[in-house]
Amino acid sequence: MQSNKLGWILLAPTLVILFFFGVLPFIYVVYVSFHSWNPFAANPDMVFNWADNFRRIVFDEEFLNSVGVTVMFVFFAVLSELIVGYFLAQAFMKEFPGKAIFRTIHTLPLIMAPIIVGSVWKLMTTPSIGIIPHYLDEWFGISMNIGTSAPTAFATIVLMDVWHWTPLVTLTLIAALVSLPPDPFEQAQIDGANKRQIFWHITLPMIAPAVVATVFIRLMDALRTVDEVWMLTGGGPGSATRFVGVHIFKEVFPKTNYGYGSTISVIVLYLTIVACWLLYVTMLAPRTKKKG
Amino acid sequence: MKKQNPIIGIIFWTLVSFLTLFPIYWLFVISVKPAVQLFSTPDLILSDPYWGNYAKVWGDRLLRSYMVNSLIISSGNAILCTILGFFACYALSRFNMSGKESIFFWTITNRMAPPAVFLLPLFLLLTQVYAVGEWNLLDTRIGMILVYCTFNLPFAIWTLRPTVDGIPKELDEAAYVDGASAWKVITEIVFPLCRPGLAVTLILTWVFAWNEYLLAATLTNFNARTLTTGLSEYVTTTGTEWGIMATISVFTLIPALIVFGLVQKHIVAGLTFGAVKG
Amino acid sequence: MNFALKLGTSALAISVVATSAYADDAFWRKAAEPYQGVTLRGVTESSPPSLYIREVLAPQFEELTGIRVDVETTSWDQMFDKAIKDMEAGTGIYDMVYIEQDIIYSYLARDFLVDTTQLLADNPALKAPTYDEANFTTFADYFEDAEGHLYGIPMEAFIKVYLYRTDLFGDAEIQAAFKAETGRDLVPATTHEEYAEIARFFTKWGEDHDLDLWGTTAQAHTGHVASWYEYYESIAPTFGVYNWGIDAANNYAASVANGGTMNSDEAKEAMTWWLSMRDIAPPESPASTWTEVGTTFGAGRAAQGLVYGENAGWIAADKEKSLVVGNVGVALPPLAEGVMEAAEAGEGYIGYYDGGAFGLPSTSKQKEAAMLFLQYIGQNEVQPDWAVAAPRVTNKNTYDDPKVQAMNEELGGYYDMLKDKGYLFAGAPAYPFHAQVREATAPTFYKILIGDLGVSEGLDEMAAKAEAELTNLGYRK
Repeated sequence: MQSNKLGWILLAPTLVILFFFGVLPFIYVVYVSFHSWNPFAANPDMVFNWADNFRRIVFDEEFLNSVGVTVMFVFFAVLSELIVGYFLAQAFMKEFPGKAIFRTIHTLPLIMAPIIVGSVWKLMTTPSIGIIPHYLDEWFGISMNIGTSAPTAFATIVLMDVWHWTPLVTLTLIAALVSLPPDPFEQAQIDGANKRQIFWHITLPMIAPAVVATVFIRLMDALRTVDEVWMLTGGGPGSATRFVGVHIFKEVFPKTNYGYGSTISVIVLYLTIVACWLLYVTMLAPRTKKKG
Repeated sequence: MKKQNPIIGIIFWTLVSFLTLFPIYWLFVISVKPAVQLFSTPDLILSDPYWGNYAKVWGDRLLRSYMVNSLIISSGNAILCTILGFFACYALSRFNMSGKESIFFWTITNRMAPPAVFLLPLFLLLTQVYAVGEWNLLDTRIGMILVYCTFNLPFAIWTLRPTVDGIPKELDEAAYVDGASAWKVITEIVFPLCRPGLAVTLILTWVFAWNEYLLAATLTNFNARTLTTGLSEYVTTTGTEWGIMATISVFTLIPALIVFGLVQKHIVAGLTFGAVKG
Repeated sequence: MNFALKLGTSALAISVVATSAYADDAFWRKAAEPYQGVTLRGVTESSPPSLYIREVLAPQFEELTGIRVDVETTSWDQMFDKAIKDMEAGTGIYDMVYIEQDIIYSYLARDFLVDTTQLLADNPALKAPTYDEANFTTFADYFEDAEGHLYGIPMEAFIKVYLYRTDLFGDAEIQAAFKAETGRDLVPATTHEEYAEIARFFTKWGEDHDLDLWGTTAQAHTGHVASWYEYYESIAPTFGVYNWGIDAANNYAASVANGGTMNSDEAKEAMTWWLSMRDIAPPESPASTWTEVGTTFGAGRAAQGLVYGENAGWIAADKEKSLVVGNVGVALPPLAEGVMEAAEAGEGYIGYYDGGAFGLPSTSKQKEAAMLFLQYIGQNEVQPDWAVAAPRVTNKNTYDDPKVQAMNEELGGYYDMLKDKGYLFAGAPAYPFHAQVREATAPTFYKILIGDLGVSEGLDEMAAKAEAELTNLGYRK
């Protein structure tokens, strides 16, 4: 084993870049979050206001609402992606002609920019003219309007996210399933275990780290979703899809509310870190330690 | 491998592929429709395509330069993140540095930040702190490559860690015993063994950088604008040019498709995020 | 002929070759001598008038003076953010910024802009003989301070008009059916009742004849500020509620209790009426911004509607984008009683006069050279071609140009209306907190649109939110 000095040298570029482009902006945001600052207020300067912003946030209905819809969105989207992704990954474990082609097709949504995904889905779901509402109406007599129905808009966004990101989940789960050792399964079959028992007692525990790691990445990215929602609904109808990312965007961009916007961001980042950390220590870290 | 009737697999996957492909197909349909047809009754089957949008986009010198910028920035960023991420993972995997697991977790928190509010400090840093005389990092490709590290470097580290962990330490030790230098061990022994994981990291970071919009829109002006910012130019108060937007989108898909196709076979082997090794 | 977005690069190449041969070439060359090698940089929205600057006027200017002009075109929300960040931080990236009429007061309050009148007075050598502030239409007034000094060179101006389909309104069968049903002749409405009657008639007509036709447009997006703007710029004023119902002279009061009109009976009547129109508009209306309203009308899905002047142009004349070319008539918006009299007397207005100007940021490092370019685009001589390429008029004598007159015909008399009736319309109220109050009240506004809140309680809540935000910003004491 080499000395730790080499380890630090190898780690140094990463730490330096993340310090200059991640930590310094973060410190600035924390600093601003203790100020009232809107360049178009009567007093355009930054004014230190202790923890006023943090006090205000606790009673900010719009912010709390946005946290609520974000949590719902992340829950439904990531759970659906996990379930669909798992079944597709299992389906890919079987051999059939054209498998490579189908797998390539299945990864295609991944390469689309969120802003493009949002645009296409907007055009597909424009009430009455978009292809989906049009044929829903013509074939089934269902009227779909993402401009008036909050559940429809919410479901459309979840569906869009599932369409866009399930491939990532499928890929990671395929990787996990491929690397499973065959012995426990053969043993279980000999012992007469049924499919469900095998899944709950053998497959799931063995792929759990991969599942958690995937959920981890998806959770993190879903919490920051902005571009595609911005294009598709703009946060509407009402506040039905005003996720925290969109809320912060509206607070910071058009409203130029830099002080309070920073406070919201700090809180959101804090909540995200806590959620991810809990997930990490309870599920991932023990496995990593065992290995190392 | 389990056996089953291949027909079922094909039928199942054809259906799934149809759902997967439909929005992409629709993007293409929009790109070959004249604007005047966009708000008329939609036809599922494409007839009489109109190539005017393609001519317009292809002939636009600005969009061509955006394409070059996008290619340079995302490739530069993906390579940088993959290499630095690999070094970082090697360090985290092979050395007993104090607090290394905390550092590992901390790296990923950089990806969690809601981007909108970080634009102002980044703008200030790029224009006023990371500046030499008249020159500064704003609106430069190198600036964007470095800024994109904030979300791609953590991702690279998290994707590569299990791969590097999975290479047995005994290999390194044997090489050291044979008198190899640390540099040689890292670049000539461990690095090649990690190739599948590196390929996946490279492609995914590339895709994330290629598709990034908000940071590029704010931190570039003339010289380093990317294709995704080019898209937003067509959302205006005088109407959104959906046809042109869709056409540019199709153009953004092509390079992504090529890069993805090239490393497709490595992907499954490399995506081992903490998967249990057999 | 189609004009808008005829700015494909090929068409532009021709204009660039046919460079201006104006009388004062000598002046520009001489005035530009000290600035050789300078590159000016501007930021603007990528609308047709701006693209014309980027693709035509900037290259012409460079050829004439040797000063290079780079214009960054971007989306509407990005443009403000970029200009504000630059000017706030004092970076000096931009030498010219697009100032939308509604943000000028915010910029002036922050001294973001250079006083162009003063700059020219201080540097007589810069003053172009062909540039004169007196050439501009009254739209330039919105970019002046109390002393009449100009802070932005107008580059586009539009009014939000009442568009109707001349083919439908002129159809004998429809006319007869309308008369039979209502006892009135089918002519463009002048009151809200008439407008509603026509709207209901056409929506029913579309249903009965299985047509994709509705009686009105509605820019009623439930998550985008376009709907907020339609109500406050175009609907509320026609019911006599001006300046968003906020009384600047009275401590920025918004609620009736404090002396404002944001939740007045007129405001509630206006909202109720507008929602009733939204309900019989095409189904895409609750997801429509200005983009979709233009497209809806252009696709022939609405018989009448309030449409931004920017879009009136291509709807009336661009065959590549519109199905109703040649069938578009222009009229003044329907009004409540007394509103026209108030507008004539200068105490009110009947609709929105929007547009933008190019301003010179105080942080620019090339103010003199930028001033030359601003004068260049403000000259009468460059206006007619520009007005044909993108339907906007900022100088008085542009209306008289034969090319513009010909286009006026195509646009159903839109330019005549801009010229003769423009004074009845008004820009956004002179508030330095435009986007702030808009964003503070918008979530409540959307709740009214989706029916979570009634009109009355919703507007009450909006007035309260507006006052709270104004207090928070420090304007309301």
